[in-house]
Amino acid sequence: MKKKRARPASRKAEAPRGVTPAQALWLELMPFYIREAWLLDERRLTEWLELFTDDVLYFMPRRKNVPRRELHRELTPLGDLAILEEDKRYLAMRVARLDTGMAWAEDPPSRTRHLVGNLEVTPLEAGEVTPLEGGEVQARTAFLVYRSHLETDHQILSGYREDVLRRAEGGWKIARRTIVLDANVLLDKNLSVFL
Amino acid sequence: MDNRRKYAVIDPATGKIDRRIFSDRAVYDDEMEKIFGRAWLMIGHESLVPRPDDFFHTYMGEDPVILTRDGRGDLHALLNMCRHRGNRVVRCDDGNANRFLCTYHGWTYRNDGALDHVPGRAEAYYDALDRDSLGLVKARVETYAGIVFATWAKDAPSLEAYLGDARWYLDTVFNRRDGGMQALGPMKWLEPVNWKTMADNCSDNYHVPTSHLSSARVQSTFLGRPRLSHKDQFESPNKHAFVNGHSITFRDADDNVPRYVHGVSSETFQMFQDYHDATMPEVERRLGALRAHRVQLGNHSIFPNGILGFRLALPRGPLQTEFWHFVLVDREAPEALKRVIRIGSQANNGAAGMFEQDDVDNWRQVTSASASRLGRRYPQDLSMGLGHAGPHPDYPGLVSERYISENNQRLFYQRWEEFMNAESWADVAIEPIKARFEGTATMQG
Repeated sequence: MKKKRARPASRKAEAPRGVTPAQALWLELMPFYIREAWLLDERRLTEWLELFTDDVLYFMPRRKNVPRRELHRELTPLGDLAILEEDKRYLAMRVARLDTGMAWAEDPPSRTRHLVGNLEVTPLEAGEVTPLEGGEVQARTAFLVYRSHLETDHQILSGYREDVLRRAEGGWKIARRTIVLDANVLLDKNLSVFL
Repeated sequence: MDNRRKYAVIDPATGKIDRRIFSDRAVYDDEMEKIFGRAWLMIGHESLVPRPDDFFHTYMGEDPVILTRDGRGDLHALLNMCRHRGNRVVRCDDGNANRFLCTYHGWTYRNDGALDHVPGRAEAYYDALDRDSLGLVKARVETYAGIVFATWAKDAPSLEAYLGDARWYLDTVFNRRDGGMQALGPMKWLEPVNWKTMADNCSDNYHVPTSHLSSARVQSTFLGRPRLSHKDQFESPNKHAFVNGHSITFRDADDNVPRYVHGVSSETFQMFQDYHDATMPEVERRLGALRAHRVQLGNHSIFPNGILGFRLALPRGPLQTEFWHFVLVDREAPEALKRVIRIGSQANNGAAGMFEQDDVDNWRQVTSASASRLGRRYPQDLSMGLGHAGPHPDYPGLVSERYISENNQRLFYQRWEEFMNAESWADVAIEPIKARFEGTATMQG
């Protein structure tokens, strides 16, 4: 067991006996998401930023009310006005902003609790993980994020994330994140926390 | 007290303003009647309903309104309320439909508002229902350069008169190109803020180096955008102008520099310059030399609730406003440039916008303080630049001497008072159009 733990995370871990490769991948990714949640809630954003590849797209489309038969229009496509459509530089800029001491939306900072679950790793075929090009996998998680700010402002942000994860030296990295909120009119005064 | 002067909330001599107007329910209810029931309100953009039978769901104040383009291509603004019991007949944000069905009893309306079908017209109503009088309630609709405005007031002046000489400035963005503009959005969120603070902030360049310094700083470092300081703002040659309730700020410099918008960075600047240069002959033809070369619209508001161009502050009670963020881009601009402007704009503005997110707590505390019995004993002080504005030889409206001034805010609240004290449009002054509209651009684009 010790030997296995010392193995670099960039190499595919061998599944323990009785665990399918898909289950093994799930077991590997769930702690990744738990760790990310703690980094966000503990405001360790510089470390959080390291979880993303340099070519990341961090995307949050708008979500519209459309008839059931037109659900293909519910999410705005890339290229339309989004809530967030950020590359690594913009994400880094947002993190750096918080350190200026004058990012008033987050100074004093929000208290957040990211609960992330319902992990599904895809595509899965007959119990085998089919890695995408370049050793990437798609991972979908649902989240509930509680945000408390200043004295009594509070909000629950609910939604899901669809990530493309890439194996890299030192672990997985997020190469693409699409965040879909379960809201049409956002009820929070601003969206100054990361999801 | 003279009941025609019910509201005297701003002292023009001192700039002191009564805080109650930001929190009182009774004042708010009066605003819904006298301002949002009367003024020309921005409700959409033609590009949101490009094809026959397209619709876009919007609001006039708190009232839900369907902006439709009928089968013949005509625009309508219809109150989203079935004339039977009052259910909404549209629940989607947008779409394409030539009929709207009330899901309660099945009354069906055409997209020009006419009541088309009532189940049981003969069997239940004995053919006695006057269908012609029961169409969806219609507002008057007019457009300016693709932006759709509507009003409930039958006695309102034309939109052209309502915008007046403000259009002389607005044209420099909205009427710049032959192909017009294209609207993207909206993204929507609720702010715990009275709607007027958002409108008045549009001329408040004083707040920028404090409220937004963190974003400006990192954007200098990461994107090579120019540094931002109070000194720059105080020394800026830019000006404010005020016409008919509309607050304008504009760049006043003939130096062939493209309009400074979201998305400009050291990497993209040349793209903006090339576009500026390539389109200048067209812009000069459309707007005349003075406006093409010297005047660039900056932050502005269109009375009552148009925010920084085509963005809307929709009142939701005295203490809350729904903000709709759109981005407008020149339809014929290169796709790469549109993308840069869109991404820059959505990174800075909107609920998650680096700049806009820092406004909210400031504004909401302005609103909260106005609800305090103690706080409201002490008026807001809007005295900056008192006595330093007036007519200008080249520029229409009342023009401030300096860029950093509260002249537009004082005039905004005076306009608000005028609307609130008016019995009808006859009591609301409309400045005659005096500006020279050189070039070919018209209200219709």
